[in-house]
Parts: sequence; structure tokens; C-alpha cells
Amino acid sequence: MIAFAFLDWFWLVMFVLLMVGCGILFYRLGRKSEADFFLAGRGLPWWLPASSVYATHTATDTPMWVSGVIYKYGMAGLWYTFFAGWCAISAFVSTRIFRRSLAYTQAEWQTLRFGGMASHLLRGWTAGWQVFMNMFILGWVGIAMGKLCHYVFGWPEWLGLILFSAICAVYVLAAGYWGVVMADFQQGVIAFIAIAIVSVWGIMAAGGPATIIAKLKAMGQGWRLNPLAFTGLSGGNFPFLWFVTMMVIAVIGGFGMGTSIDWYTEAQRIQSARSVKDASYSIWWGTALVLLRNSIWAGAILGFFVLFPNLTEVSQYEFAWYRIGFENMPVGMLGFFFAAIVAIHISTISSHLNLGAVYMTRDLYHHYINPRADDRKLVTVGRVSTLILLIGSFVFGSIMENITEWLIFALWIMAAGVWLPNILQVVWWRFNGWGYLSAWIANLIFSWLVVWVLPAFGLMPSLQDYQQFWILMGLGALIYIPVTFLTKHENMDHLVKYYVMSRPIGWWKPVRREAERRGLI
Amino acid sequence: MAFFKTQWRPEEVDLWTKEDWLAIILSPLAYIALFIGLALSMLLIPVGFVLLGIGIVLTWLMFRIIGPKLTAVSAEYEKKQKEYLERLQRIVTWED
Repeated sequence: MIAFAFLDWFWLVMFVLLMVGCGILFYRLGRKSEADFFLAGRGLPWWLPASSVYATHTATDTPMWVSGVIYKYGMAGLWYTFFAGWCAISAFVSTRIFRRSLAYTQAEWQTLRFGGMASHLLRGWTAGWQVFMNMFILGWVGIAMGKLCHYVFGWPEWLGLILFSAICAVYVLAAGYWGVVMADFQQGVIAFIAIAIVSVWGIMAAGGPATIIAKLKAMGQGWRLNPLAFTGLSGGNFPFLWFVTMMVIAVIGGFGMGTSIDWYTEAQRIQSARSVKDASYSIWWGTALVLLRNSIWAGAILGFFVLFPNLTEVSQYEFAWYRIGFENMPVGMLGFFFAAIVAIHISTISSHLNLGAVYMTRDLYHHYINPRADDRKLVTVGRVSTLILLIGSFVFGSIMENITEWLIFALWIMAAGVWLPNILQVVWWRFNGWGYLSAWIANLIFSWLVVWVLPAFGLMPSLQDYQQFWILMGLGALIYIPVTFLTKHENMDHLVKYYVMSRPIGWWKPVRREAERRGLI
Repeated sequence: MAFFKTQWRPEEVDLWTKEDWLAIILSPLAYIALFIGLALSMLLIPVGFVLLGIGIVLTWLMFRIIGPKLTAVSAEYEKKQKEYLERLQRIVTWED
């Protein structure tokens, strides 16, 4: 347990008041319309959604995860965090295309891209899946805060889970996305300063850069300084082929939409930007901050390693960065450090509360239940949805220990077999809604078989995750490519409207020709 | 003639051009150089500063190339945005 002085509590209370104050300040803006409650009126300059991208993807469990991979793999562990690099290409390709569609959500975009029954099935499925995923992420991040509060204050885990998420819900309920993005800006600044200060402090506590390097070499651990310390072509725990797979997923994934789980949060930030250019800049710079934050952490974690080189349990070394802060920061700064952790925590919570609510409100309630609802009604439904997500997250958080393995699997199946279809839906005019839907269904079946069922019965070896990725991608293609060609392409009128509005990249020649013939472009 | 365009006519901005592809290539390289460069610089490793410098130059160059085009794309697109928003509303209420 950590003892807080008066100054520590002062920092913490002031910070919480500042955040809740945001909700009150932007309450009037958030209640104006559905577009204000979920997209801040589509009028933000690029640096606001950029700070929200950064703040949202800096969660309570992020330093634990980064600590874990750097402690285990050294600098090479940084590549585990490079999956965020999908925004490198996305910022100039899928971000531009998605911003031009003006869709509130990915589910809505699918009704613009695809037509007929398949598009409505997809919209319902994507919306339902996203409500579930956001509730799960809220529970996941919430229980990480519960564990941290247990470590710092000795509180029971449920208290840390509920307390800070509930405080955050005040301004999300009041001001919607306006509250989220304005608070994210402050939280992002506070978190980045704290990360930089604590990490430099950690490096100095370990004796400084030269001492860390000398000690690593003396311990025979100099390889930890090499970001390309592979364990062979395909063997060991950091093979070259894993690195190649990661690069393909991260970099080429930027041509698609939904190739990363983070796409769905970014999609909301893209649409909240005031122009196509602002959307592109926000995604690029927000992700640059995410990557640079990981780089700053890496040096500090290596400093922690030379101080505590013999930790073998993940539960011990994943707290590395938190321990650097709590064990080295002076009295009075501890409260600032904890306030930064609260900032890290609630910026993620607020984003996912509002994001889950937009799928519930726009795609499920507005589209399927009450298409005639006015803005006032929709904002009320947005608030009720936020509350449902909050309560659901408490339930998920409290049972997370038992379901984590299953849910990590759920995340994996979302990434592997539909990775290529998520790109094809953007770049290939002939890929249709039935093809995409069949890819999802095939992926659900094949991933169970390849990851769990067949290895359990000894019918195939248990493969590394990068091998599973390629196999699932290939197996899925055996289903969705024939389905695509055996069903009709989308209605040409529908495709032309989509093309004229979005101007997608890739293989769209027949649609472009038709648009030109009609004199639309 | 300049290697990349800085002035765009309305009929050109919606095409995917050399400038877009340069940004697509430079962007991941800039991320990697900044990402690894800063990590190594935190421990004052000289190659880290070199990579960081390369990353900053690549970032500057990339925005120099793609910035004018994105400005032109935005200006052209926003003339039509109102009409597209109306269509979106018709879709959500089942009128389209």
C-alpha cells in the first residue's frame, strides 16, 4: 500500500473536479442533436480527435501490457505494440474514404457500401457485436483499475472498478462526445507529461542510460537493446516470420476498415473531424503519439529490468512501470502520478461508453426500432444506452477472471479470418455483402477448429499465432471468394452512389466507367 | 516541373495520384524511424538519434507532399457534404 500526503489527495481531487466540470461545461452542446451527442457536431480541428485517439488508446492496462512485453523480449518487444501502425496507411486511405461516407459508424458504412438484405444483416450484426465488444473492453479496463487500486490503497477490486468508471460516466452522460473529446484533450496532456516524467525518473533510478547498458551487457543480456533480436526464422518466442506477419497485418491493414479492433474508435474520431484533411491528420498524429509513448516506456522498463532481473511471474513484471512511479516519485508527486493514471483510465472508459452508445442508438434504435425519432429522443436514448453499457461493464469486470481466455479468443477471431475481407470491402468493387457475411461465419467456424478443437483431438499440431493467422486467412478465402462470385454484385445504382461520394482506392473500374457514363463525375 | 504537385484543379483531386502513393510509402517508414529512434534515444544510443532524425525528415517530407492535396480534397468535398448528409438521413429512416 502507498501512503498519500495532503498534496497527493489535492492533485487527485482537483483532477476529478476538472473532469466532471467538463461535463457541466459542455452539457448544452451535447444535448443539441444526435450528431452533437456522438460526433461533436462534426466540427473538430484535427488536434482534438488526435488527442482523443492517443488518450483512448492509453488505458490502465496499457502500461502493464507494454511492461510485460519489454521485460520479456527487450527492445524487440516494442514490435508487439506496433500493431497500431495500421494508421500509417489508413490516415491517407481508409480514413479519407470513411470520412467521405459521413457514416456515424462502421455498421452504417456497410449499408452505404453494400445493399439489400446482406447489408441489413451486416448492420445488425456489426452493431450488436460492437455493443458487446465495448462492454467487454469497459469491463477489462475497469478491472485493471480495480487491481491497481487494490495495489495502491488496499481497496477491494470492485471498488476501483466501479468508482472511477462511475465518475467518468457523469460527464459522458451529460455532454456525450463533446465531454469525451474535451476531457480526452486534458487527460492526454496530463498522461503524456506523467509518462515522460516517470519514465525518465525510472531510467535515472536505475543509474542512467550508460549504467543500464553496461549492466545489461555484464549480465549477458545485451541482446535486449536490439529491436531486431530474432530467435530464428520460425522457431523460438520471437521468430522472424512472426515479425513479417505483424508488419503485414499492421501496415497493409491500413488499406481496410476494421482490420484492427481500434478502427471502430478511430471511425468515430474520423467523423468528428471538421474536414477530410483534419480526419487524416488526427489519425496520423494520434497514432504517432501512441507509438512514441511506447518508445518512452521501453527505456524505463529496461531500467526496471536491470534493478529486478529475476522476476518470472507475469503478474510481477507487468507492474514494472507502475512500480517505477510509486516506488520512486517523491511525496506530493504521487498524487499527480495517480491523477495521471486516473486520466489514463477514464479517457478509455469515456470513449468506449460513448462508442457503444452510438451503435445502440444510431444503428439499433434509430434504424430498426424508431426511424422517426427526433434529436431530443435520440439524445435521451444515447444517455440510456450509456448507462446500460456502464452497468454491463461492471458485470463483465466482476467475472473477467473466468472469461478472459474465451474473450481473448473472441478478439483473435475478429482479427484473423476477416482481416482480408475487411480490406477487400474497401478496394474491390465486386466483393459483396454476402461475401463479407460468409467470411464472418466461416471465420467463426474455422477459428474454433484451428485454434482449439483440432489440436485438442490431436488432428493437427498446436500452431503459433502467426501461423494460425495465415491458415485462417487461407481457409476463409476458400469460402468467401466462391460465395462472392456465386452471388450477384451489388446493385450498380448503389455502387455508383457510393463511388461518387467516397472515391475508393483499388479495383473500381466498372463502377467508375458507369459513373462517368451517367455524367456524375 | 516540380516532382510533386502543390496546386490542384477540382477534377484532379479525387483521383489517387503519385502524391498519395508517396505518402502511403513514407508514412510507415516515418512511424518506424520515429518509434525505434525515440526508444533507443531514451538510452542515449547514437543510432537512435540518427533514426529519430530520419523519422522527423520523413514526416516533414510526407506532409509537404500530401498536405496540399488533402487541403484541395477537403475543399472540393465539402461543397457536396450537405447533400450526402441528407442522403444518410434518408437511409437511416428507410426512405432510400
